[in-house]
Amino acid sequence: MKMHDFQLLPEQDQIEILYQFGVYIGKHKQAFSIILLYQLEGFYVEVFYRKYRSHVKHLHCFESTECLEPYLEQIDVENLV
Amino acid sequence: MTNSTTARNVVFYADDDLDDLELVKDAFAQYSKNVEVLTATDGSKALSYLSNLKKYDTLPCLIILDVNMPVINGKETLLRLREIEHFQDVPVVLFTTSSQPMDKSFAKKYNAGFITKPIDVKQMEVIADQFIEHCSEEIRDKIRRQIK
Repeated sequence: MKMHDFQLLPEQDQIEILYQFGVYIGKHKQAFSIILLYQLEGFYVEVFYRKYRSHVKHLHCFESTECLEPYLEQIDVENLV
Repeated sequence: MTNSTTARNVVFYADDDLDDLELVKDAFAQYSKNVEVLTATDGSKALSYLSNLKKYDTLPCLIILDVNMPVINGKETLLRLREIEHFQDVPVVLFTTSSQPMDKSFAKKYNAGFITKPIDVKQMEVIADQFIEHCSEEIRDKIRRQIK
């Protein structure tokens, strides 16, 4: 599925697809909001929460790796060395 | 190790994500009269607590393990638990962000359930029930009967 096709779907369908096929990448906190990042084929989807894992505020899709930075900072590479 | 109530049926949950620990404790809140949720923040702490339980101690009616945990991950924790005689038949669920078939197969191979962490409330509403489904029939009935 291409990002554009995904974006055209109703939010609940997007969430269901993410749940079934998304690969979890990471999590970060912005102000009081928690954001989860998933990869779906060739693009990424951020899930912004009003309440963690309960009330989704909105989804944000992107393809650029620049938006991955806040998540990369959280990855502990100590165990990989 | 933390506990949230003083009830009889123990659900033991290990996860390094404090938000998920809270989430699961909240999910079991409806059963708080008869379910005690004990938590640990990595596999090593979980094993340290669980392996010190003796055969005749009250064992957890369910063990929930996150997969990606520091020190000892959930899969390794499951393997080591299954090597302990009195934990061979204790229900275990891998609770993970993964939905990968290989992780599901791993869980099945070691007689454990597999639940992907929810993304939104529709899945959250049923999450405690999904966990309880993995308990023995007797425990399941006991837990559910007490909230009716």
